[in-house]
Amino acid sequence: MSQRFDVIVVGGGPSGLTAAQRLASRGFKVLVVERGRRPGSKNVYGGRIYAHVLDRLYPEYVKEAPVERWVRKERLTMLTKDSGVTVEFEIKSVEHKSFTAYLTNFTEWLSRKAEAAGALIVTETPVDSLVIRDGRVVGVRSGADEVYGDVVIVAEGINRLVLESSGLTPKLQPSVVGLGVKEVIKLGRSEINERFNLDDDEGLAWALAGYPTHYVPGGAFIYTNKDAITLGIVVYLEHGAKLDAPVHELIEEFRLHPFISRLLKGGQLLEYSAHLTPIAGLGAMPDRLYGNGYLVVGDAAGFLLHLGILIRGVDFAMESGNLAAEAVVKAHDEGKYDEEALSVYWRLLNESFILREFRAFRNAHKVLNNPRLYSDYVMLMNSFMARYFDVDGTPRRIWDTFMSSKGKLTLTDMAKDALSLVMNL
Amino acid sequence: MGATVISQVTPTQSVGKGEGLTIIVPVKAAVPNITAVRLDPVTHNLVREGVPLMLNPYDRNALEFALRLKDRYGGRVITLSMAPPSGKDFLESTIGMGADEAYLITDRVFAGADTLATSYTVAMTIRKLFPEFNLVVMGEETTDSTTAHMPAQVASWLGLPYLYYVVDGEVNLKEGTVRLTRYLEDEGVFEEYEFQMPVIVSVYKDSNPPREISLSRKIQARLGNLVKSVTNNELKLDQYCVGLRGSPTIVAKIEDAKPIPRKKQVFKGDPKEAAKWLIDNLTKEGVIKS
Repeated sequence: MSQRFDVIVVGGGPSGLTAAQRLASRGFKVLVVERGRRPGSKNVYGGRIYAHVLDRLYPEYVKEAPVERWVRKERLTMLTKDSGVTVEFEIKSVEHKSFTAYLTNFTEWLSRKAEAAGALIVTETPVDSLVIRDGRVVGVRSGADEVYGDVVIVAEGINRLVLESSGLTPKLQPSVVGLGVKEVIKLGRSEINERFNLDDDEGLAWALAGYPTHYVPGGAFIYTNKDAITLGIVVYLEHGAKLDAPVHELIEEFRLHPFISRLLKGGQLLEYSAHLTPIAGLGAMPDRLYGNGYLVVGDAAGFLLHLGILIRGVDFAMESGNLAAEAVVKAHDEGKYDEEALSVYWRLLNESFILREFRAFRNAHKVLNNPRLYSDYVMLMNSFMARYFDVDGTPRRIWDTFMSSKGKLTLTDMAKDALSLVMNL
Repeated sequence: MGATVISQVTPTQSVGKGEGLTIIVPVKAAVPNITAVRLDPVTHNLVREGVPLMLNPYDRNALEFALRLKDRYGGRVITLSMAPPSGKDFLESTIGMGADEAYLITDRVFAGADTLATSYTVAMTIRKLFPEFNLVVMGEETTDSTTAHMPAQVASWLGLPYLYYVVDGEVNLKEGTVRLTRYLEDEGVFEEYEFQMPVIVSVYKDSNPPREISLSRKIQARLGNLVKSVTNNELKLDQYCVGLRGSPTIVAKIEDAKPIPRKKQVFKGDPKEAAKWLIDNLTKEGVIKS
């Protein structure tokens, strides 16, 4: 029995499965090796998928994919222990722009697509490293086993153990990742509709900053599913040492915050999870995304765009899987899978929205890494509002109130920070 | 329940024909997280829909025992399991460990079975599909129901000897005998028994640490279609002996254990004082006697 494949994909997440589906449907013999019990069982994300890539790659998704709710309400809150300033945007649109979903279900749906296209998916099997001969990746190693393929697509996620153990990337630096912890809380559908003021298929995406991470760079999120709420926090690992409490306590405190706990009242904790997440844009990329006999896609390639409020991973993951598949097809047509032939992947990435967006936001992380954003400004806004709305017979002019609320922030700091936010996000 | 007479057939033996052993390893799709188990409020049966299944961990030790015998004496190891269609996935991992073939016994009529009906189904499947078997090797118990009924009941349906807590075996292919060692935990002793095969064995759960699951074996499982399904169309078992109808076990009543309200008293301060405070309070509550 042949143990040789045209393409081996390490990791059955959105990027790997998209690559597998594209290639298998073009007749390539594809093996996907997944560590978890089912594809998706090791995936963790915030809660929302942007649909533009699906429109192109899986147009049938509107009917088929396990969509929970279509996001039509975006909310941003600067939260303190006992107050909050919120900006909300709502749109009565029927267009399908982004939706909440359980990533496990969504990924399993992608895996059925890949299997239907003819890919072979083997689960509960970790890949330990790549098999490299004469400077060329020729397969994967799992325990004492080696399985060979013409090209390997590494879709192992942000914790790049396979690339690391194969000597193809250095260890992850704390500065390029965040630690996310997340809970799913079961709640009745009508409770969710009522408490969040939503229609049946409408969803809310909510980002919060300040108190949830104890004012350390990072943030919190809440998404509404059909009959569950996902909430979580992300802490920039680089700043982790400044935390005065472990992350599992932070999420607990966030859940118990008076503004949050009343929304979750009567809910039941279904699951909790934790995961690393790339936060540094281009900075989270390994040195190289292609080489002799291999390509890197998805989170492993650092493809997560983090703009504070906007966080996108799954659309980048799927598109990078798609482009990797295209690169493999082109290299196959050339008859070789060496570094030069596979460099077409880098070209495709450059032409695609992936690198165009990452380049446009190449300084986003530097700006968002500014600790003032998560502490001083949160305090400023909250104390400004608290003073301004506190009517007690003292005249409160906006400017005076503002000046008395700004604490140790100087106007120059504020001007600089505002400018750099506007210019880089 | 309809009465059925089970004929006591002694299976024919193939040992000594130079083909090695035929070892059957029945396994169970267990619920991995026992706290996630829900019970149907009406039927009081385990709700299995939507619950991810995994191979009962102790079955891996049983499979390892079987594979070691195969490694030493040749032959083949066949796993089988009565499970919903989703059970194919976890049977694949038995091929991944080294089983030659796996059979998923799956049919609506088998649903809702207690251990008696399950053991009947498993025993009759073995008799129909592998009449020439030499050993049936099973795990000591399952992690999600821990009855340890199955091996004894399978032995009883097949009218064969049964030994449990087995840790090791030595086969004499020529004579068709097996010498089995078992470990009695409480006594801390090893015992040896010699049997004319076929024989039913359950393996001590802390013995025979299972080998790794191999990627290439799992690929073979898929490409070679090594996990097969059998339904009652092929097995033709008496409908009154399988599934819910063949199960005399009735869960008469389920009661939730009411959580005891906690008093939530906290003592802060010196550990010595704390110990005294704790003892005083527990004595007062009648939890301990002074």
